[in-house]
Amino acid sequence: MQVGSEAAEGLADTDLVAQLAAGSQEALGQLYDRYGRLAYSVAYRVLGDSGRAEDVVQEAFLKMWNHASNFDARRGSLRTWLLTSVRNRSIDYLRGRGAHERQELELKPALAEVAPRSDPWREVSLSLERSAVREAMDNLPAEQRQAVELAYFAGYSHREIADMTRVPLSTVKGRMRLALEKLSSYLQGGGLIDA
Amino acid sequence: MPEHDELESLVAGWVLGALEPGEVAGVRAHVEACPICLDTALRLRRVVGALPLEVKDVIPPAALRERILAAAAASRGPMPALVLPKTRTKQYRPSARATNLAGRTRRWVPAYAAAASVVLSLVVGLVAGDVIGRQAPAPTAVVRSALVGHQGLASARANVIDLKNDGVALVDFSGLPQLDSGRVYEIWLITAGGRADPAGVFVPDTNGSKFVLVGRSLAGYAQMAVTTEVGPDGTLAPTQQPELYGSLV
Repeated sequence: MQVGSEAAEGLADTDLVAQLAAGSQEALGQLYDRYGRLAYSVAYRVLGDSGRAEDVVQEAFLKMWNHASNFDARRGSLRTWLLTSVRNRSIDYLRGRGAHERQELELKPALAEVAPRSDPWREVSLSLERSAVREAMDNLPAEQRQAVELAYFAGYSHREIADMTRVPLSTVKGRMRLALEKLSSYLQGGGLIDA
Repeated sequence: MPEHDELESLVAGWVLGALEPGEVAGVRAHVEACPICLDTALRLRRVVGALPLEVKDVIPPAALRERILAAAAASRGPMPALVLPKTRTKQYRPSARATNLAGRTRRWVPAYAAAASVVLSLVVGLVAGDVIGRQAPAPTAVVRSALVGHQGLASARANVIDLKNDGVALVDFSGLPQLDSGRVYEIWLITAGGRADPAGVFVPDTNGSKFVLVGRSLAGYAQMAVTTEVGPDGTLAPTQQPELYGSLV
């Protein structure tokens, strides 16, 4: 048993997903051990409530468990998929909307496959990645960082952000674009995402 | 190309999920047709995928892992194979309860006022036990299971707290759709052989939640399931296959 657990510990995410599809609860436990804390941190950051954060994380892991056979690594890493799911469900809770009202961000599969086939994160440890992302965010001008955070972690639309911050809509659009472009340059420069 | 410029200015908002609902379809269609905007969208989407890494670490409750594994086990468990009656099922009638139930006392208690104090005292006991570690049932006397929704009840969940020493169980439902007038949710306890015994009826609160006390032991039952039945008393046997169910630990 010990040997099996150690072997599972070192498996790539894609291998664990294959085991999930075959019904391995051990694989689910391993993925929770790998990403559960981060997933909970994301949900808590959005919701600010431990009970609701637990519900969201449970729903996201169950979705992964029940749809493991549909996961396609060519469209992105498992971690990105899981954390995006946690963020989207958290925003749905926060904004009181159903999943059917969520904005459709998926591209046609054939276009989405243009995304890198490799897991861009596999070479670097999670803690280093997180430090790099925090540093990149810290380096943004305050108003650009605010625009990204209000949209991503609070679920506000660009129009709502313009109203809240009392700046023209075109300025908010510009801040979002500039912020993401700067983050892209920074993270690409550090080898954390593909160009 | 004013249209291109206008739509390109919305790509960052699109990958952040920050567009107005009426803007989304147009931007998506443009991105899929415009190589420049597609390249931008894919590049910025990779950045957005990294944003969750910025959050401060918060340690989840230790019980969450077990809860997820239990819910996963329940969701892959086989649907209870219920034997449905060929004719319309007789409804509960309180005045005829003894004969209709063939001597089987209706021991379930929906969460009405009479049961509220029992539920409250059990919950207080559990919480107090967790918090101050006194007067809590022995660890093996409290067993938790999960029910998972499917199909029309896909959004529904329930956590079952089986208080073995007390011979009762608490069921915490959430995410239940509202019922049509005159309908109720009915809880069934199912043996390994597929026999379904009624265990309570309830109507969820406006937010789709309900806390229900099942006033009988779960011993000898393999699964718990929920169907919608005619109200107010439910039926003696289920009239449909359940869409919310799970294995009992």
